[in-house]
Amino acid sequence: MQPSEFDESELFRAIAASGARALLIGRRALVALGIPVLTADYDFWIHIDDIVAFNTAVEPQGLSPTRSPEEARGRGRYVLENDERIDVLVARSVPTIDGVRVAFDDVWSRRRALQTALGVTLALPALDDLILTKRFGGRPKDLEDIRLLEALRREGE
Amino acid sequence: MKPWPTPTPEAIARIRAMSERVLSPDEVRAALAVPLGEAEEEEARSLIRWFRRRYKTPGERLAYVRRAYRRWSGTLR
Repeated sequence: MQPSEFDESELFRAIAASGARALLIGRRALVALGIPVLTADYDFWIHIDDIVAFNTAVEPQGLSPTRSPEEARGRGRYVLENDERIDVLVARSVPTIDGVRVAFDDVWSRRRALQTALGVTLALPALDDLILTKRFGGRPKDLEDIRLLEALRREGE
Repeated sequence: MKPWPTPTPEAIARIRAMSERVLSPDEVRAALAVPLGEAEEEEARSLIRWFRRRYKTPGERLAYVRRAYRRWSGTLR
């Protein structure tokens, strides 16, 4: 099977232009900020009302959703995939493993803009919020990422 | 030099399971309560400094990691 033509810059450009409230989270966000970690997929946390806009934006890259918007809203997450994979979180709020409830609207209001290419700006959570999102999963690699994010903070974000 | 053996699918599955294991809230709290040691902290900050110096823009960093991931995943085949 031929791999699909994937253009990361174009993906980000389309998401930024779509108007969907979408935050890049996960390891790809760490990389953009300056932490060299490997990852296979993309993670976005989007507003629960923006699923259709987000899906429409990434559709030209051949990425198809694994659930309908209604199902995704019910489950709080879904995946867009072809040879690439985007994990999409759509919950209004998510608890951390140790019980702190993190609301999308709050994180969105504190977001940071990051230019990834000429004219392409991605939204990322503020550093403290990105650390909180790393406590959603509670896996060993999430804790490692938190330590790296704290080192980044001390290095001067 | 003797080549490093390719990990078996079972070994990869075991490592993935360990890496993906969800810790308990107490385990998370305990782990985060321990500060980085001085050497570990310096190593992390040195890595970050190198990465940000060598790849100055978010776009360059993201592109580097895509290339690095392709190289790394190629070694598993």
